[in-house]
Amino acid sequence: MQNRKPKNSPFRGLDIQRHSFLSDKDCRLIHEGSCQLLEEVGIGVTHAGAVKLFEKEGATKQNGRMFIPRMIVERSIQQTEKNIVLKALDSTNNLGIEGKNSRVHYGTGGQALYVLDYKDGAFEKKAAVTQDLIDIVRICENLENVDFITRPVEPNVQDEDMDLTKTRIFLENTSKHINLANLIQIEKLPEIISMVQNKELISFIACVLVSPLSMAESTTEKFIRFIQEDIPVAISSCPQAGTTAPLSEVGELMQVNAEVLSALTLANLVRPGAKILYRGIPITSNLHTNVSPRWCQPDSIRRIAIISDMTHFYGIPCCGTAGVSDEKEPNPQAIAEKTLSWIFETASGAQFINSALGMLEQVLTVCPEQYIIDDMVIGRIKQLFLKSPDYNLRDIARTGVEEALSMFGVQMDSAMKEEVSSRINFIFSGQEEYSADHVQAQADLIKKAIISGKSSNVFLKTSRSGLRRGWLYSGKRFEGRLELEDLHLLKTEILDSYGN
Amino acid sequence: MSDLIEEIKKNLIAGRVDSEDEGFDEDMTGQPGVTELVKQALEEKIPASDILAQALTPGMEKVGRLFEDGEYLLPDMLASAECVAEATEIMEPHLAGVDIQSRGKFIVATVEGDLHDIGKNIVATILQGSGFEVQDIGTSVKASQIVQAVKESKPRFLGLSALLTSTMTHMGEVIDLLKNEGIRDQIIICIGGAPVSEEFAKKIGADIYGEDAFDAMNKLEKLA
Repeated sequence: MQNRKPKNSPFRGLDIQRHSFLSDKDCRLIHEGSCQLLEEVGIGVTHAGAVKLFEKEGATKQNGRMFIPRMIVERSIQQTEKNIVLKALDSTNNLGIEGKNSRVHYGTGGQALYVLDYKDGAFEKKAAVTQDLIDIVRICENLENVDFITRPVEPNVQDEDMDLTKTRIFLENTSKHINLANLIQIEKLPEIISMVQNKELISFIACVLVSPLSMAESTTEKFIRFIQEDIPVAISSCPQAGTTAPLSEVGELMQVNAEVLSALTLANLVRPGAKILYRGIPITSNLHTNVSPRWCQPDSIRRIAIISDMTHFYGIPCCGTAGVSDEKEPNPQAIAEKTLSWIFETASGAQFINSALGMLEQVLTVCPEQYIIDDMVIGRIKQLFLKSPDYNLRDIARTGVEEALSMFGVQMDSAMKEEVSSRINFIFSGQEEYSADHVQAQADLIKKAIISGKSSNVFLKTSRSGLRRGWLYSGKRFEGRLELEDLHLLKTEILDSYGN
Repeated sequence: MSDLIEEIKKNLIAGRVDSEDEGFDEDMTGQPGVTELVKQALEEKIPASDILAQALTPGMEKVGRLFEDGEYLLPDMLASAECVAEATEIMEPHLAGVDIQSRGKFIVATVEGDLHDIGKNIVATILQGSGFEVQDIGTSVKASQIVQAVKESKPRFLGLSALLTSTMTHMGEVIDLLKNEGIRDQIIICIGGAPVSEEFAKKIGADIYGEDAFDAMNKLEKLA
């Protein structure tokens, strides 16, 4: 079992030397491209209060799009709070999230629709209910490597009661930091603050952005209310390369960055010094089949890790993403892809890694046993990073997957080892040039897509050349049978200890 | 077959709507695409029925075969389908009197509260490319507006899309409203989107669940 806190720190977390994929020059190029997008393509804004705030500062609105001068954006980056303390009922669980540091924390993620129940050696998928929320919070309270808990599933009560019910469940069952993610009814916020008594105990995630480059009106209202209350909020934007963003890594990065910066600007117009976590999730679409999101494939792992380069460039706290498997059930493939994603996201120095445990089938399903698997593997990954402060990331990735699979009874053969190396090589290897010309070409494409009114068709069509150049990873699967009986017993033991 | 018709077919297979489109094997930007070539062919008095029969139909059939063989991927299919849709629109005034078999009118919408349009757009384009008459009524469309569109256009098919768990419930609302209006049985309802399933389709009383655009197309074609 590891120590919860690093030496000489009042906070939990894993302190590491971070690995950068991009140089400061590359980050500057992306930043310039994003500013250009906000100035020339603008962001779709319909929320009247947000429009007023933007216009008051000199932004202009035309045809539903807000054109934001670079000066306001860059001032907002400066104003944003760089160090945030996320408190917990047990103060030894407090988290110090500092934009320039790389102290990494892991937590759950969610609003999954389904839960997998383990029965007689097989998994059964069912709709998530209130008891699942209680069980998962209790399991995570007992897992050493869960630093914070994001609402994994919603309780199945009336909309009217949802927000208060989930807050009560959290308060009764965890001593860790509570990330409530979203609220169904923003009018409930004062009651929630009153319930928790200390609003420093909670944080939220606001999916303000709809890619490409638009703000969702109802979420904007919620976002503004969180900021007014000075509660930390992760600004979430999750474009899918090839459908809601260019397939190009450079194009998607500058778009997601522009999207997050637009909301970050709004936040600082509401309250200068807003407590923001930057949550850009530039994943890819499965263009080989049905355009479903690819959360845990090498292309997405690389792009998500690069986001931390941008947040460190700005010095703004990063809400990272890792461990969201594309698999439907716990299996060797899920363990392998999750492990690679945790390792690269950890190395990137993302301070608040959300969705890191329990998640399967993109973000649709969670599984109690998977939380325990993920906790065990994250614990092992931490040991690998701590063993050698000047680590070799390739070695950690290779060893990490091998050890993770071995923990659950799967020994890697030479074909599997080759596949791990192939995935690692893809994550390391940039497929595109970071140049002003390429940035301009991608800005032009995004502009064309938005003007067309059918942006997804434009992004899909223009992905054909990139697809043929291998911008989406295609490899072999990790097969085998996991030994899960002990995990099931452990889960049962944890839940039985609560006496019902 | 004239060179121009051959060129239209070639560009359709390459999925190049216009001169701004790049090909996928080499950068063809700047060279005329399907729309420019179709206009040129019409100016040169090549009958629209010939363009249809000798370029668009065989071109799309070849794209379908390439897709089935795994050589073409979804974006390729979509690009070619868009070429057909654009070309058909240009040729429409010239096709008066030509017997074209439509597979039926299809209204498609993303339901209320949901601004996501990828699935809807792909389905609309693919169906249009395969001979359905598509009317796309947009995103975040209220149930009452969808029912109104059904009443006005009297389509054979209605497609409903949702990406969010919070909005998928509006699909059932649309079906209930159609029942209340007494027109539910006059149309075939197809639903799709990441959170919906076969089970959900049954639960709300939809006729077809399309797992993806091609699944929807295959199921609809059987009924068309």
